[in-house]
Amino acid sequence: MSDDISGRVAGQADGRRNSDKVLFRSKSLNKSFGGVHAVRDISLNIPHGGVFAIIGPNGAGKSTLLNLMSGLYQPDSGTMSLDGVDLVGLKAHRRVRLGLARTFQKIRLFKHLPVLDNVIAGFHIHHDIPAWQYVLQGTAFRRDYARCRDEARKLLSFVGLEERAKARAGSLAYGEQRMLELARALATSPRLLVVDEPAAGLNAAEVEKLLDRITQLRAGGMTVVIVEHNMDLVMKVADRVLVMDYGQYLFEGAPAEAQVDPGVVAAYLGA
Amino acid sequence: MSTVLLQQGINGVVLGSLYVLVALGLTLIYGVLVQINFAHADVVTIGAFAAYFFTFTFGGNYLASIAVALLVGAILGWLVNAAIFAPLRERGSELLPLIATIGVSVLLQNVMLLWFGPIPYAFDSPYSNQVIRLWGGTFITGQNLIIIVVSTLTIALLYAFMKFTFMGKALRAVAQDRETAGLMGINPNHLIMLTFVIASALAGMGGAMLGPILVLTPFAGTTVIVKAFAIVIIGGFGNVEGTIIAGLLVGLIESYTTQFVNPGLIDIVVFTLLLMMLAFRPTGLIAEKREENV
Amino acid sequence: MSSRDHTELANPFDRSSVSRRWWLLGAIVTIGLLPLVFQDSYWRTNLIVCALNVMLAIGLDFILGYAGQLNLGHSAFYGIGAYVSTLVITKLGLPFWVAFLCGIVLAGAAGMALSMFAVRLRGHYLAIASLGFAVIVHQVLVNWISLTQGPLGIYGIKPPPEIALPGLPVISFGNSANMFYLVAGFALLFYVLLDQLVRSPIGETLTAIREDEVSASSLGINCPAWKVFAFGAGSAVAGAAGAFYASSVGTLVPDAFIITESFTILAMVIVGGMGTLIGPVWGAILLTVLPEVLRGFGDLRLVLYGAALTLVVLFMPGGIVQAAQIVRAQFDRLRARLEAG
Repeated sequence: MSDDISGRVAGQADGRRNSDKVLFRSKSLNKSFGGVHAVRDISLNIPHGGVFAIIGPNGAGKSTLLNLMSGLYQPDSGTMSLDGVDLVGLKAHRRVRLGLARTFQKIRLFKHLPVLDNVIAGFHIHHDIPAWQYVLQGTAFRRDYARCRDEARKLLSFVGLEERAKARAGSLAYGEQRMLELARALATSPRLLVVDEPAAGLNAAEVEKLLDRITQLRAGGMTVVIVEHNMDLVMKVADRVLVMDYGQYLFEGAPAEAQVDPGVVAAYLGA
Repeated sequence: MSTVLLQQGINGVVLGSLYVLVALGLTLIYGVLVQINFAHADVVTIGAFAAYFFTFTFGGNYLASIAVALLVGAILGWLVNAAIFAPLRERGSELLPLIATIGVSVLLQNVMLLWFGPIPYAFDSPYSNQVIRLWGGTFITGQNLIIIVVSTLTIALLYAFMKFTFMGKALRAVAQDRETAGLMGINPNHLIMLTFVIASALAGMGGAMLGPILVLTPFAGTTVIVKAFAIVIIGGFGNVEGTIIAGLLVGLIESYTTQFVNPGLIDIVVFTLLLMMLAFRPTGLIAEKREENV
Repeated sequence: MSSRDHTELANPFDRSSVSRRWWLLGAIVTIGLLPLVFQDSYWRTNLIVCALNVMLAIGLDFILGYAGQLNLGHSAFYGIGAYVSTLVITKLGLPFWVAFLCGIVLAGAAGMALSMFAVRLRGHYLAIASLGFAVIVHQVLVNWISLTQGPLGIYGIKPPPEIALPGLPVISFGNSANMFYLVAGFALLFYVLLDQLVRSPIGETLTAIREDEVSASSLGINCPAWKVFAFGAGSAVAGAAGAFYASSVGTLVPDAFIITESFTILAMVIVGGMGTLIGPVWGAILLTVLPEVLRGFGDLRLVLYGAALTLVVLFMPGGIVQAAQIVRAQFDRLRARLEAG
């Protein structure tokens, strides 16, 4: 069932599964806040498919980079593109239509709404209803309604929350809320899913569960970017890593090599 | 002609300093709580009525009535915070406290209406009719002189308090980051209460001084509050210097518009300025950036 | 923050589509019977005012309760609808229903303009901007004497023209019963329209924006555009209410649209239950009828509104709808206990 989910989600969005091609490309990205140069001259290439990790000690600029990718901030200089489409200047909500989805480090669920409704909110860009049917709710409306509820339940099932569909999102345990955020982001049918500090606040079992889901998504062909400061965690899943510190590039390449790179080691030991 | 210009300038400064007194209260509260107290205006009205009754019903000294109004304002501030803002703080809603204070404002105004009636009260202070000649053919009434002196003193004291005393710095700390201030041994709740008391005391005092120059009805506060909002926005929410500058600016604009254009257009001019401000520089004249943390 | 907070408790006003049809029928029947029960002109006027308030309240709830925008300037759209429709008839000589449409369109456009203007502004700033807008509109109505006759007002506004359908008696809107049917009918129509929107993905979109805009953007929702839409829809309905107000009351003065009017509509929405659409209907009805019933105690209307607004926010933020949910839950518990024991 879970293969079906990740395959369907990734396949829906992108028929191509060319792991040699680059999905996300950035060149010399820069972002400063007042006196703080949070992201300095970052260039990266994220290939199609696979798990790409952006790691670095706290304050390295990872979240800023993520926010640049998702459109919450605009870069001061540099370029970014998703599958060849220029992202600079593109508003955050438009990037979702291109297939970029993200989760938040500080959980931003719709806490007062039921769990199911949170996931359904993610289908916003996929509704297939002619305008007049929003009022005179005819066949297309009903079909869309049923489809959304059905797919939402499947996503909840994928993250193990199907029992809690009717509960208020705010009443979920922290770990469950993280999984719900994941399900909601998946509802947008992304090609590139960016997960921000997914392990923050989770216990070992919950982290395992999360990494397992990410692995399944990768198996289905989705490209996943994980932003994390815990290196060991990420080494288990990542195919490729970018290591940052003080907003700057330290290393990009295979995880095993990152662990022994002297610059990386110094940054982590020094931090 | 220059006499008129100068005269209106003086009137503008008088008006402006009163607006600053009222607006400062609003901006202080916003700075510390990120909330708007809509009932702030009615504290001004109540202050004016308190001063009126103290002077005319109890035969007190007018200057003393300003102190009385200050006290009444302080008590009201304490009440509003204790009854509304403190309980609602736990709920964590951004808009509910504002809505609650709108309710309080409507309630207070109409209770006063039932009690005091709609007919304006003639609040003549013993200084209203004293005229002091100034340079260039201009003059100032005793009342306006008192307003300028008291307001300037108060504003200066407040400014010094905020910048140089521990309490003042603690207030600013709470405004910047409530949690961390708490960790440093400052009790944010006490400080918030202190802010409310100071802010409302200022409003009450403003009311006592405004009484003789405004039309004193239960709705006197409304005419002031919306302008006070405009000032707070133009000056920048939570920004003391900005509020002072903006308040004087609005006072001058009002004064000159009354003289040279149609008095009925004052509100339109001030609020169009407000909307322009919001469009192009929402953080106010002296910009203060607050990045949202994601 | 809305009555949706209590999603685990069943909302007794939230009905399946079958029971919704029954409720709709009940509403139509009630509307039909009311002028027969209340024959005197005093109460009939109140009924019309009630229907107008319902229209205003549901429009504001769409903006505030669903899209989460604190609009304190709703009175401005009411006034724009009233004056525009009246002036289109008196100055341009166009027929009523064309003027009606103009009132709706201009009020809606004003709402969209305000929203576009305030699009980057957070909650409190928007509240003040909308307040400022309402003050400006009111002052313009007062001061543009050549157009609006200022505080003197416009008199002798005629009700909508008679409708003469073949084979049926002529329907004259000078008759207060017919006027009530017209206004209440439109109120019901607008309610159904907004309700349908709210139950569609558009409602979900607006709710998402209300709950967390950053989050909503990350799901592909164009928040500014949808906020403008909500404002436009809500203010258009207010404009319609304005047009009906002018033609049913017959006279128009700017002071009917002072900012206090915004607060009373706000009170109706909050007391009824923000974000439920049906709640504000009850809130409007309650706050229109109650002061009339209490007339013996002097003009307590605004005191009542102020007190109700404050107390509801402090103690029952979900309003009437929340109260009904609690009562219903108690009943269910009582019933369960009776069945068990």
